[in-house]
Parts: sequence; C-alpha cells; structure tokens
Amino acid sequence: MKTIEAETPSNDHRAMLRDSVADFAARASDIARVRRLRGDAAEYDRAVWRRMAELGWLGILVPEQYGGLGLALAEAAIVAEGLARGLAPEPFTAAAVLAVEAIAGGDNEAFKQQHLPRVVDGSLLPVLAWQERAGEVGPAGGTTQASLFEGGWRVGGVKRFVSAAAGADAYLVSAATSQGVALFWVDRGAPGVALELEPLADGRHFGTLTLKDVTVPRGHMVASASVAAEALARALDHATVICSAELVGVMSRTLEMSLDYLRTRKQFGKAIGSFQALQHRAVDLYIQRELASAVLEEAIGALDGQPDAARRAMLASRAKARSTEAGLRITREAIQIHGAIGFTDEYDAGLYLKRALVLAAWLGNATWHRRRYGALAARTDA
Amino acid sequence: MSTVPQQPDYNAMTAEAFRAEVRAFFAQHYPQTLRYILRRARWEEMKDWWRALYEKGWIAPNWPQERGGMALDASKMLIYLEEMERHGVARPPDQGITQVGPILMQYGTEAQQAFYLPRTLSGEIIWCQGYSEPNAGSDLASLQTSAVADGDRYVVNGQKIWTTLAHDSTHIYMLARTDRDAKKQEGISFFLADLKTPGITIRPIRNIAGHEEFCEVFFDNARLPADALVGALNQGWTIAKALLGFERLNIGSPRRPQYALRRLEMIARAKGLLEDPGFADRFIALKLDLEDLGALYGRFVEQVKRGEPLGQDVSMLKIWTMETWQRLTDLLVEAGAEEGVLAGVREFAGVEADILSSFYYARPATIYGGSSEIQRNIVAKYVLKLPS
Repeated sequence: MKTIEAETPSNDHRAMLRDSVADFAARASDIARVRRLRGDAAEYDRAVWRRMAELGWLGILVPEQYGGLGLALAEAAIVAEGLARGLAPEPFTAAAVLAVEAIAGGDNEAFKQQHLPRVVDGSLLPVLAWQERAGEVGPAGGTTQASLFEGGWRVGGVKRFVSAAAGADAYLVSAATSQGVALFWVDRGAPGVALELEPLADGRHFGTLTLKDVTVPRGHMVASASVAAEALARALDHATVICSAELVGVMSRTLEMSLDYLRTRKQFGKAIGSFQALQHRAVDLYIQRELASAVLEEAIGALDGQPDAARRAMLASRAKARSTEAGLRITREAIQIHGAIGFTDEYDAGLYLKRALVLAAWLGNATWHRRRYGALAARTDA
Repeated sequence: MSTVPQQPDYNAMTAEAFRAEVRAFFAQHYPQTLRYILRRARWEEMKDWWRALYEKGWIAPNWPQERGGMALDASKMLIYLEEMERHGVARPPDQGITQVGPILMQYGTEAQQAFYLPRTLSGEIIWCQGYSEPNAGSDLASLQTSAVADGDRYVVNGQKIWTTLAHDSTHIYMLARTDRDAKKQEGISFFLADLKTPGITIRPIRNIAGHEEFCEVFFDNARLPADALVGALNQGWTIAKALLGFERLNIGSPRRPQYALRRLEMIARAKGLLEDPGFADRFIALKLDLEDLGALYGRFVEQVKRGEPLGQDVSMLKIWTMETWQRLTDLLVEAGAEEGVLAGVREFAGVEADILSSFYYARPATIYGGSSEIQRNIVAKYVLKLPS
C-alpha cells in the first residue's frame, strides 16, 4: 500500500530500519510465542529485549552523550509499528519511549549519566508510574506524596494502570512535593513497595503499585519540581504518538488479513471479496488506515520541530484519536469479515482486536484525546 | 478579438511569490458580492470576472503559453486552485478551459484548434458537458444518444440530462453512440455542437436548493457538420477518460468542507453549543475528520509536486472529503435547531448564514464526479485488488 518517501539519506536509513524490524519480528517474535506468553506474569521475554538492545532500538530516543543514538520519533515509530504488526509483547513504548523520555527530560545529570546507558543496553528496565485514576491521564501528581527528611525522600501513595510493571526493574513515580510534582526512581525491591497485577484483554497486565513510606535517596529524584511537570507532559505526548504507531501496525496487519480472507474465502461459488457490500466495507477500513498513517506521519514530522506544549499536545491527541478510532474499527470489523472463524481463540484476528483494545485505552482513549484537542483548539483559535 | 498578453514563466517563481501574486489579483478583481456563494454562478454574474482573467492572461492556468495559457505545473496549479478556494472565488463555466481545450489540443484537427481555442479563451464560446443521459448515469458507457452519418453530416437524436448551465452555454461537447454493434465503450464518439443548431432544445431543471443549474438537452434530428467529430470515429470513450486523476485531487481538496466547518463553529460558539459535552464531542470528531483529511491530501499533493502521476487511490480523497462535508452540514442543521430549517440567509446569534443551502449543496457532492459508490468500486478493484 502507500508509502511516499523522497530519496534522501535519512529515508534510506529509515527504510533499512523498517526492513530490519520486519526481519526481527519474523524471526524473534512469531505469533506462537505471543500466544505462549499470554497470561504469563513475566509477560515478555528478557532475552528478546536484550536483542532489541543489541540492535540499538532501546537507545533511539536517548541522547548520544548517555550512550544512545539520539535519533527522532520517526525511528521510534518505525520500530513500534513493526513490532506491533507481530504483536510482540515487549514494552518498547512503555520503557524505551515513556520512561526514557521522562528520565532524559529530568534535571538529574548524574543520574542520567549513570542509569541511561544501562537502560540502553537492556540491563535496566524502568517504567513510568504516574496515573492514579481511570480516565485521568495528565501529568499532575495525584495524591501520591513525597516529603524530604534527613535520609532522603519518603514517598507514599498508590499508582494504577502501570504498563509492563511485572518485569520492570524500577518505577519512575510521580509525587507531589511542597514545590510541585516531581519524579522519583523507586527500585522494584525497595522496602514498602508492593505490586499487584490485573490481567488485561491482550494477556498482559496493568500493575497497581502501592508505596508505603518508601525511602528514596536524594540522588534518585530524577526530575525536580522545576522540570518534572513538563518532562512528564512531553514524555506522555511522545509515548502517545508512538502508541499510535503501534495501533497503525496492528490495524495494518489486521487489514491485510481481512483482505487476504476476502480474496480467498469462497461462498455461493465465488470469492466473498467480489460482493459489493464487503468491498465497500473494506474500502472504508482502508480509508481509515490511510487517514491514521497520514496523521501519524504529519504528527511525527511536526514534533521533530519541537513545537510548544499546546501544539505538541494537539498533535499527539490528533494521532491517538484517529489511530484509536481506526484501529478499533478495523480490528472489530475483521471479526465480522472472517465470520465464525474470527470469533475463535485459535484464529489470530481476536489477538489483534484485544491488543487494539488495550492500546486504545492506554494513555488516554479517543474520547479523552478529542476532549483535550477540543479544549486546546478553542484556546489557540481564540 | 484581443490577444492575451505575453506571460512570464510562473513555474520559475517561488511558491510564496506566486501565491502572493495570485492572492493579490483575486483580492483586487473578484467581485465581493460573489465570494463564497454556494450555488453555481451564472454567466451574467461571471462575465466581467472572466474578462478580467482573460485580459490578465489568467483564464487558462492549465493551457500552454503558446495557446494563451499560464502553463502552470501541477504544484503551481494547486496554489492557484487553493487561492481560489481561500478567497471564495466561484467557478465560472470553465469546462471549455478544463476539458475542451486539453482535449482539442490532444485530439483536435488544426482547423478545430484554430477556431475553438481562441473563442473558448475569450468567452465568446461557453461550453457545457453532454455526457449523462436519463439511463446512463454511473453506467455512462451505456449511453444511447446516437449520431448517424448522412452525407457530410452527423444526425443526432437522443437526450442528455444533468447538463450543468446548458442554458448559459453556446456550445456542448458530448458523447454519442456511433456504432450500435460494438462493445459499449467502443461504439462511442466525441462531438462538438453549437447549441443554436436546429433540433436542439434546452430545458432547465430546478434543483432542491431552488436553483436552475442543470438542464435537459434534447436532440431531434440535429444535423451537425462533419467537423463536429473530434478524434477518430468510435474513440470518444478514450478521449473522455483521458482527463481524470488531477480532477479527483482537486475535487478532494479540504477547502470546501473547511468553509462549512468555519460556519458551524461560528454558529455553535454563538449559541453556546460547545459547552454541551454531547455536541462538543460530535463537533470535535468532525473537526478532526477534516484536519486528518488535510494530512491525507498533503500526501497526494507531495506526490504531484514530485511530478509523479496519481494512482487510483486518489479516489479515497473524494469519498472522505465529500462525506465529511455532508456530515458537517448535517450537524449545521442540527445546531440551528428550529432556526436551522428557516429558508434563506438568516442571522444566528449575530452570524449570517444560509444553513439550508449549505445542507442542500452538500447533497450532490457524493453523486457528481463519480458517486461515492463508484469511487469505492474503483478503490476496491484497483487498490485493494479485490476480485470481481
């Protein structure tokens, strides 16, 4: 289908990256593995994660002085989209985008020097724990509190909907200080940290993280109150766009499956794809996919120009609103197009629908993003 | 007949400089009262504007310079069209410029070119398109109007319909069947006819917006001269099909629905409807439908700018643009509530709008230029490669 790119060196390396992700997904992450890991508390495969590190993908958004590649969202989107096509459960967006950007956006230089290279090489896997209530996705600290004492910070509160929490080595916890929201690095095994897992539609889990008087050394404040809100907002917007790329990967593969089925499944003596009712349905799904990928491309291009916070949020919300609507519609209709076989656990269409459902809800669903977009648009138009 | 002034090489200009020049000319010369009209403008209203464009040498942006055109390349052409839409410039009866000119330049004889091209440019000849018939709409190739050779004449019998602005036109370009035994696409020829020819009758049809914009054209033993035929006999289908592609990009431009969105937003704001979460979600969803169309349209524009031909996938633009436009005007009527069904230009909390006309004129958008259903058939067959 449509990919439009000029012959520039940058697009050459992007094409190579796209090929290498496809190749990786084919060899390291087949659907049988995805099925095996469903419901497993480990959720993903640390060996696969390390291979992703070897390929440099975990450092795409990490600046070069911290051992990363210092590339752009465009490269991160290629990796996310390619992995999502094969439903790989590894938490690329949660760790290599959301957590990495939150750390990189912080103001703890020594911490970055020490920890980011280990995130890049795959030996340390942090995830962000910022959300406390369903439907509240913004960067505000919630009710989790952090207070200073002689030994460091004492952090207490409950964080919910933490993606990829089970296999994480550390949590980046947002908490209110007397100066405003700040971001703390909490080791997985620190005294007072408890994690409960809730199973998700796609066989992965959301974690609920309970922190009771957890002590955090001073040097583990990743972002102070003077920068944390913006670092969080930026990390969330960028992760939202990369999550949209995952949705585009999921919907693209699903649409291919549906089109293949329409071409080969015969009823009444002919391929069902020859029936106009189904053809027009397929065209509408295709238009949604094209819209989603065009909006994603536009958002990524604009975000690389470092727009202001309002414009950045609008771009992220546009991408997520469209990719969510399109992704859910394409994966739902795949079940209908396939008929009864599509409703079986054995057939892959259901796996794609379930992943789309989870990605749709994570980092703000379509309604949330439309509302935010509308509010920001009203403000910028006025 | 005056001649068109020598034109500079517009394609050598920067996009910004060209845009500025076009914008300034439209602002200075286009009649204020005709900005953003929803209906098709009539010739009486448009003839001074035509004259102004003609004298500037800008009436035929797509024609080569030696024929009196601007010779714009695709990217400059898009700027020209974008500025027309931005300023709310109505389409004049321009089918002679967009259709007949290019067809004659490719298929016409030297005599046909010498006679018709300069007169088309000056507005002395105004063309209408005689393609559709009562029983040949989406299935155009089944048309039945016949042209039978009789000595050095062609005798035409039959009926055309949905002929836009035929009653303002002096000539018609048309398709007629010249071989009843051939496969249906292969028995069609392309003709030009003076509408004053005895045997031709025009009857306007009133549309649901109350305007007489399209017509029926009847042919009762109308005798056309031999040189009315363009190209070879039975080549008409190929000739008529030659000009698609760019047209579908233009027709898929987001500008028209953007105008409807601005109206809707002004009225919704004035009435305080955006405070209502239910209305606001529908409004924002539509606003995003349109914003996202802009991203998709942009991809095709980039393709044109690189000089690549457009594929059949451009059909999806027309589907999405026109259907979004309709949904916008549907919500416009709903935003108006009881006031949304008042006829004519009205004031809605300080904003002047003709809600019903907006709604009416969005209706045929999914019918003309290849209906949404036909566009979906095209995408299904040529892009998705679904079996037939």
